[in-house]
Amino acid sequence: MVSAKIAIKNPTGLHLRPAGILCREAMNFNSVVSFRFKNTTANAKSVLSVLGACVKSGDEITFVCEGEDEEEALVAMVKAVEDGLGE
Amino acid sequence: MLKGTSASAGIGIGKAVIVEETELIISKNLVEDVEAEKVRFQSALKLAVEQTETLAKDLATRVGEKEAEILNGHILLLSDPMLVGEIETTISGENVVSEYAVEAVCNTYADMFASMGDELMQQRATDMRDIKTRIQKILLGVSSVDIASLPMGSIIVAKDLTPSMTAGINPANVTGIVTELGGKTSHSAILARALEIPAVVALVGFIDKVTEGEDLVIDGSDGTVFINPEESVKAEYAAKREIFLKEKKELEQYIGKPTITKDGVTVELVANIGKPEDVEKVLQYDGEGVGLFRTEFLFMDRASMPTEEEQFEAYKKVASTLNGKPVIIRTLDIGGDKEIPYMGLSKDENPFLGYRAIRFCLDRKDDVYKPQLRALLRASAFGNIRIMVPMVTCLEEIREAKALVEEMKKELDEKGIAYKKDIEIGIMVETAAASLMADAFAKEVDFFSIGTNDLTQYTMSVDRGNDKVSYLYSPLNPAVLRSIRHVIECGRKEGIMVGMCGEAASDPSMIPLLLAFGLNEFSMSASAILNARKLITSYSTKELQAMADQAMSFTTVKEIEDFMKDFISHS
Repeated sequence: MVSAKIAIKNPTGLHLRPAGILCREAMNFNSVVSFRFKNTTANAKSVLSVLGACVKSGDEITFVCEGEDEEEALVAMVKAVEDGLGE
Repeated sequence: MLKGTSASAGIGIGKAVIVEETELIISKNLVEDVEAEKVRFQSALKLAVEQTETLAKDLATRVGEKEAEILNGHILLLSDPMLVGEIETTISGENVVSEYAVEAVCNTYADMFASMGDELMQQRATDMRDIKTRIQKILLGVSSVDIASLPMGSIIVAKDLTPSMTAGINPANVTGIVTELGGKTSHSAILARALEIPAVVALVGFIDKVTEGEDLVIDGSDGTVFINPEESVKAEYAAKREIFLKEKKELEQYIGKPTITKDGVTVELVANIGKPEDVEKVLQYDGEGVGLFRTEFLFMDRASMPTEEEQFEAYKKVASTLNGKPVIIRTLDIGGDKEIPYMGLSKDENPFLGYRAIRFCLDRKDDVYKPQLRALLRASAFGNIRIMVPMVTCLEEIREAKALVEEMKKELDEKGIAYKKDIEIGIMVETAAASLMADAFAKEVDFFSIGTNDLTQYTMSVDRGNDKVSYLYSPLNPAVLRSIRHVIECGRKEGIMVGMCGEAASDPSMIPLLLAFGLNEFSMSASAILNARKLITSYSTKELQAMADQAMSFTTVKEIEDFMKDFISHS
């Protein structure tokens, strides 16, 4: 299991469009990709789960990847967020 | 006559078509073969995704990518593994039919989003209910009202229009829309505007008042709706409709056209805005940027100061939406006339001559001005932001403000945060002092923007809100015109941009004079832009010089007004 902390910089937080891009990225990997935020854990492959976490701009989330391609998955997820999730 | 909220301008005359969603009856029926039920659900889901994809594609080509985005969001939700998983678990765990499982699971999410409170989450709740109905209709074999093939001259009457309903609207057949719910910014209102269909929303109880096929006349410009109007009303509105369409068509010719005079002088035609959302209108009317973004809205109607972060987001949104077009943002302009309890501003005896705007900001550097300047600088990395300082009266003020900007730049450099290194800083010229000292100011700032509302008020020493003296309030007063001409001349001499962001910039009597003086930028409310472009492109600045010289030779406002009226009627 690997994990990394990163801040969300999208202006409206993890809303539908950025959440969708985050999920599509996560689905490229076989590992279980999730993130911890406050007291919840969200499944990064589910738009609903990501939306439900209610992550606002500036909030920090911790990605947790577990599985055969966990290292690559973590790097990709962090990069996707850093690139602004399409915004 | 009924009155709703105006949502999309124009006159619609036609017959009512009531579009009501059939109430779906979902009962908790049990199934024996759970696996077969899952297959049934999967095939309905597949069809729902396909239908949505078709709608989204159709909408993207007919209207625009932006309008299709909401449906692309639905596709994401429909394919969500968690949603699909939970529906299947409900089918197998409770041995229930798919439509019931869909109902239960989608409602849980819709309620969850609805309870989160913010506006974007409310939209997600609406989305969940919309996709729920779409899957259930497929499962139950209920066909939707076919909005795409309504007869010509239909006026759609509905409780509210869901995105999947609006997507099918064909503007060739639909001459109007009336809904009981919604607001100016609801999805159906935005789409109606994009499709240029007249629309009235938030007309409570309308469906009960109207029957299918009845004659309706609606005025989307002011929210008026008539049911079975008399012939005279119909004729009156038919005439209004002609005028509206004619004027609209005439002005539409100016969309995408450069703002250039007959003798080849290009000026900037930009908009005044008060909220980030106003940018939509700026783009709609083909504004070339923003000449005045008032930042007061961020500070009003709230209990505490907005954070630097909140300000950053608002400025960034405008800058990035305008995609490189200039955005002049005015720093906070408040004083004792505005009630902002948390600011600790006491009631000024004379708020317009008192502790306000830059005077207040320089006194409150740490908690007010520095955070705003930092937010502006950070946002400048995302677009073409220029900073404008209001109500400047002496050079010390602008020097101090500029020094603060430099200080904030250093702070950002140390933290490695990006900003526009060569960000321009200008002043709003709106006091008599700034106008008289314009030659000196022009050497120290990057641009001027003449705020004619306050400049007129300060120059004429007149409160325009006071009926007894408001006759003195006119930018065509020779004193005000001389002041304006002087400011423009001083700015041009130093080669800096001189704009105007008061109401005078869109005034047909002022435009020829301003062009003759050499104004570079005209900023006005977005809806006035196309008419201003029409006027500007009809003049030649060279030919205007003699007229302007004559106008400036008069010494009373009456003479100038009459002269300009006469000039306009002959040009």
